[in-house]
Amino acid sequence: MGDIVVLVKPSLNPDMTRSKPDGTVDLDAIPLKLDDIDANALEAAKELKNTLGGKIIALLLLPWGPVQKRTRELKMVTQEALARGADEAYIVSDEKLLPGDPIITATVLSNAIKKYAPNASLVLVAEASIDQTTGQIAGRVAAKLGLPFISYARKITINGDKIVAERDVEDHIEVMEASLPAVVSVTQEINEPRPPTLLQIRRAGKKPQKTLSAADVEPIPERKKEPVEYKILTVSRKQIIIEGDTLEEIAEKLIEALEKEGVL
Amino acid sequence: MVDAIIVASSVQEVKESLSAVSSLGDVEVLFYGKNTDNAAEVAKLGVKVYVLKSQHPGALFNAVKKLYDEKKPKVIVGYGTKNNRDALSRLAGTYDLPMATDVIGVEFKDDHIIYKRGFLSERAIATEKIPYPAIILVNAKVFEPVQREGSGNIEEITIEEDSVKLLEIKPKQLSGINLEDAEIIVGVGRGFKKKEDLELAFKLAELLGGQVGASRPIAADYKWLPEDAWIGISGKRVAPKLYIAVGISGAPQHMAGVNNSKIIVAINKDKSAPIFKLADYGVVADLYQFLPVLIKKLEEKKGK
Repeated sequence: MGDIVVLVKPSLNPDMTRSKPDGTVDLDAIPLKLDDIDANALEAAKELKNTLGGKIIALLLLPWGPVQKRTRELKMVTQEALARGADEAYIVSDEKLLPGDPIITATVLSNAIKKYAPNASLVLVAEASIDQTTGQIAGRVAAKLGLPFISYARKITINGDKIVAERDVEDHIEVMEASLPAVVSVTQEINEPRPPTLLQIRRAGKKPQKTLSAADVEPIPERKKEPVEYKILTVSRKQIIIEGDTLEEIAEKLIEALEKEGVL
Repeated sequence: MVDAIIVASSVQEVKESLSAVSSLGDVEVLFYGKNTDNAAEVAKLGVKVYVLKSQHPGALFNAVKKLYDEKKPKVIVGYGTKNNRDALSRLAGTYDLPMATDVIGVEFKDDHIIYKRGFLSERAIATEKIPYPAIILVNAKVFEPVQREGSGNIEEITIEEDSVKLLEIKPKQLSGINLEDAEIIVGVGRGFKKKEDLELAFKLAELLGGQVGASRPIAADYKWLPEDAWIGISGKRVAPKLYIAVGISGAPQHMAGVNNSKIIVAINKDKSAPIFKLADYGVVADLYQFLPVLIKKLEEKKGK
């Protein structure tokens, strides 16, 4: 049967958001991490690997620069993807592709899949990333590869040359069936990713990985998204801590305050 | 010449999307899914309505693509529902169209679009610029729904599904609560040690005439409450006049869902919890001790 490609995003870690004195986001100072739901996608790949009989290929693209500064972080994300079950990794890293634009990202990833994973029978993608949360890469890649697409899968089973997935829509579940090869986006509910063991981490270093430049994944489309400004969100709440000698007193003061606000 | 096509599965989505594109010219609507019986209500907004009586994501993609090919609109707009994201991300990939999601503000200029959206799990606001034609998916409850009277044509379209088969539709266990319309919401988080203890929150909500919502662990991971009670980036976004966060630490993914509340109250025993910086009023106390007292005081007031 075939290989499983997992798209892995080195995302800006929102928990480490840094700002400049003028209140804008200091993008270069925020470290990258393996995106949260990518861990679920890798776990899902591990579970399906035996059924499909191939290997797991992690495909990464650096979306945030500068390349020089990100080299070490990118290496760590790659190591983690390999420790989490990928058998080999391809990493696209090139100043020409920065900053990430979904049009460029999806095209580059699709080109890389065609060229470096020709035997892929399944492409797994997280439903969205933690930094941009646009959730559009999976659908774009499916369209570019001309493959069947199932989005928001929270359960996947392989049935011969078909995949059956439970698609999680807002108020119901749709059981969908597609022929392989297919592109599937997964939600965080699909599994509970196991943290890699020490042995898996050690082995990861010995697994094959190849860094690609823009020239390896051409043609590259024209960039369409231009950043104007990234500003830190400031919330202006009153932040009043209600204190008192007893809980009764605090409760009374709270009720009084809420009545004054006209919300009770 | 059609300037914008709205892709929507409810009347409310159409009204808010119309508001988002109010500075553009002619607008048409692709109305799909299970609420298509309401198509006449959409037509009354004075727009042409194409009705697709299907909720198959592949059928929706094919319908959107057909309309896009025929009408060549400058903008496709709608909510960021899962079906919209599914179909429109495929359209974006087909034609390399820029696609902005979770948009909270948009300006249509002569030769480009400028929009604002949440960034870094809502810790920041991104302002970005894209050319036409483009796809814009807006957040719910951001744009004031348009109210107007008119009459538009309704045309039903039939379209092939793609090769993916929809085998079965299974219901989710839902509470049926419409949190989006609640004026007072009591939000429950991991501070609650077991499911039965949520009774305290329900009692408080009942006294206040409100509803109970939850953070991700409670609704999605432990499943102590149905999924439609989940408030946050991936859950619901609510805007009550009063939000009482009980045992909620204040993770940005959750707070993004409640930031539009008028007043936020936090009850948490950990005085260093981030929620206290994101709330108007804070009570540093163990919820198991404080809620019974608060409930008693409210009952006394009611009794008067």
